[in-house]
Amino acid sequence: MRGLIRYLSPFAPDQSGASGVFYDLGGLIVICDAGGCTGNICGFDEPRWFSRRSGIMSAGLRDMDAILGRDDQLVEKLKSAVTRLGAPFAVLIGTPVPAVIGTDFRALGKMAGKRCGIPVLTVSCKGTGLYDEGEEEAYLSLMEAFAGGSGGGDDAGDAAPLKGLVGVIGATPLSTDTAMPPERLSSALGTDRLLCYGAAGGLSAVRRAPRAEKNLVISPSGIRAAEYLRERFGTPYEAAYPLVPRPVIETYPELRGKRVLVVHQQFAANAVREGLAGAGCEDVTCATFFMMKEEYAKPGDARFSTEESFTRFVEGGGFDAVIGDRFLSRAVRGFRGRWIHMPEFAVSGECADVGETGEGPERKSGT
Amino acid sequence: MGNDAYYITAGELAAAGSGQIPDELRSARHLIYSSPATLAFNSPGAQGFGVKRAGLAVPGSVMLLVSPGCCGRNTTLLTERREYDGRFFFLLMDETDIVTGRHLRKIPDAVREVVAACAERPTSVMICITCVDALLGTDMDRVCRKASEAAGVPVLPCYMYALTREGRIPPMAAVRKTVYQLLEKRKKRASSVNILGSFTPYDDDSELYGILRGIGIRKIREISRCEDFESYLEMAEANFNLVLNPESRVAAADLEKRLGIPFIEMTRVYQIDKIHRQYELFGAALGVMVDDSAWMAEAEAAVADFRERYPDAAFSVGEWLNADPFELSLALLRYGFRVNEIFGTVTDVNRIYIRRIAEISPETRIYTNLSPTMLFYDCAGGEDVITLGKDAGYYHPDGVNVPWNDEQQPFGYRGLTRLFERLAEAAGKAEGIS
Repeated sequence: MRGLIRYLSPFAPDQSGASGVFYDLGGLIVICDAGGCTGNICGFDEPRWFSRRSGIMSAGLRDMDAILGRDDQLVEKLKSAVTRLGAPFAVLIGTPVPAVIGTDFRALGKMAGKRCGIPVLTVSCKGTGLYDEGEEEAYLSLMEAFAGGSGGGDDAGDAAPLKGLVGVIGATPLSTDTAMPPERLSSALGTDRLLCYGAAGGLSAVRRAPRAEKNLVISPSGIRAAEYLRERFGTPYEAAYPLVPRPVIETYPELRGKRVLVVHQQFAANAVREGLAGAGCEDVTCATFFMMKEEYAKPGDARFSTEESFTRFVEGGGFDAVIGDRFLSRAVRGFRGRWIHMPEFAVSGECADVGETGEGPERKSGT
Repeated sequence: MGNDAYYITAGELAAAGSGQIPDELRSARHLIYSSPATLAFNSPGAQGFGVKRAGLAVPGSVMLLVSPGCCGRNTTLLTERREYDGRFFFLLMDETDIVTGRHLRKIPDAVREVVAACAERPTSVMICITCVDALLGTDMDRVCRKASEAAGVPVLPCYMYALTREGRIPPMAAVRKTVYQLLEKRKKRASSVNILGSFTPYDDDSELYGILRGIGIRKIREISRCEDFESYLEMAEANFNLVLNPESRVAAADLEKRLGIPFIEMTRVYQIDKIHRQYELFGAALGVMVDDSAWMAEAEAAVADFRERYPDAAFSVGEWLNADPFELSLALLRYGFRVNEIFGTVTDVNRIYIRRIAEISPETRIYTNLSPTMLFYDCAGGEDVITLGKDAGYYHPDGVNVPWNDEQQPFGYRGLTRLFERLAEAAGKAEGIS
């Protein structure tokens, strides 16, 4: 049956993705929920939550708020918090509750912005989408609101690009499987001349976006924002994923001549494919449960929309090895090949750098 | 951003009188800050038991969570635990479902598939539904009946309605009622009693068991100690139910109505005279004498021993623990210790404790974990306090922390004794605690 999950469990949802983009920007992040969605985001999908504070709030909606559509009360709560905390901006993120009652987020954002006197962004998540859909909308709204704006220092706005300065889009824990994307990227790329939008440097980094010589897009969720920046500021972009875990790279020579399936977010899977090709392994298929951009796919690549389609694809594909999060192997009990673990935080909630860097989230039992 | 965390002293709060709880302490009046200290509030089962885990208290049951994907996300961790392996299934709703409710038609077939996928036939299937169905007004009893007919096993609804958290029957009270729904009327046994309250057992050495056996009870049942479905069904033969958590009151009332099992209620408290008084009242209700003297003496000795070693101990008490933070704070104050701070949710129920706290320690500061201003709580300077509760430990990472939130439940004198044993152990390990 479509939609029935027997062996796996749901992946990181859209509101977690949206929240992750804003987590380190110093604004108020308001999850329009009753509390449970916020708990899920913070307690499970946000590894930075246990080590770094952020103004992430639940709207604390109750049944009568939803039934009566009391948006005005939400706005008053927001205004009170903005006044007390002095936040430079706020973002309202949707969940299933506003989706059911048909909340007009654009109107809500405008009303809240007027009342609070600060920019109020909105991301109309529904809880039915996956994290990258939330990230995509969040990055786009972030860039539309702040890229090139004042407050980014004397080199923001219309100033010319700086040689060697690279913008990074998509470097969230959910897309990179690490609680420290900027640090890991600096180390992997050998430079600290990075503008990791949403991950380091706060709003000022976003405002400096026009100064980037090029943008590096780490995950498909960043493509739309990269296209926006290219159209607006002429900044070129390229897709790349420089964070493939070392233990995975070390297996490449062993896979020469094998038929390999890589299951991960598309750009990470593509990076593994390139690495395998370099080691003489040419028969590689990439697949994902998340967003798949056709222009970055090769013939035979797959996107799974159900657990069942994943099971069929793996068990019937004749693969010698699968590279992917070991949590997925629960659904392919008939697969007899080798499983090489490549953690995917949005799938299992496991960071790739736990143990390697010593920093990882404290995990809690679920409901 | 910048500001100070909001607090009010016990003296100020008590002086404000009933009905005058400041807006800052009322969660409905402000956004709810999410910090690790509030995990238990924002995701009730993210520590201990939430609706999903609680619904599986019935031996041999499995759960089908019918919801958008986000509601089942953190269940990933539960599925990694051996006792829940193969017991969670998900029917994901899409955008059309959440507007039209068409997912309801799929449930009977989904339940049939779930039953077929289980290695052993489940004793029951729990359908867990969430805020979406609360808003759609779904008649889940009817859906469950159809699913039961289709699959040939009992199917029960579990309402994970966060939207109704402060409603007449909150989700955790509703699920406590659900897990006893499969009990059917049986002949009563005078020597049988059920303990209702927790989804994990009370401490094995709790005096509760000794006291009950002392008055002739031979079978003491708790749902968490039922090893199989038959032993669960035997709970229906109880002569009375002993309710140890107010959230079980609805379940107890339902069992009284359906199966004719009356109930007696006791509360977890840490004031020794109140524990004693409860047992006196318990005995009076049953017409028996309860001899609790040995356990009482043991608890008094534990408190006295700690006081002798740490007479100037100062506490910071949180709410993420097995206690009412205000009652526990009052107990600590009455035992002669200082309580600098309480992180708690002020309700009409605990205002009586706050008045007493104000009499003894009017300067005790009361914070609410949920206030947005807690974003700016200054964690520095907590080296000289003992923190009780995981949330208090979060705010004072340099202090001595006793989380006191084990799944095994403390109660009564033995709970108090164990608490002070833990405190002594933790304080003994630390330096700088006088």
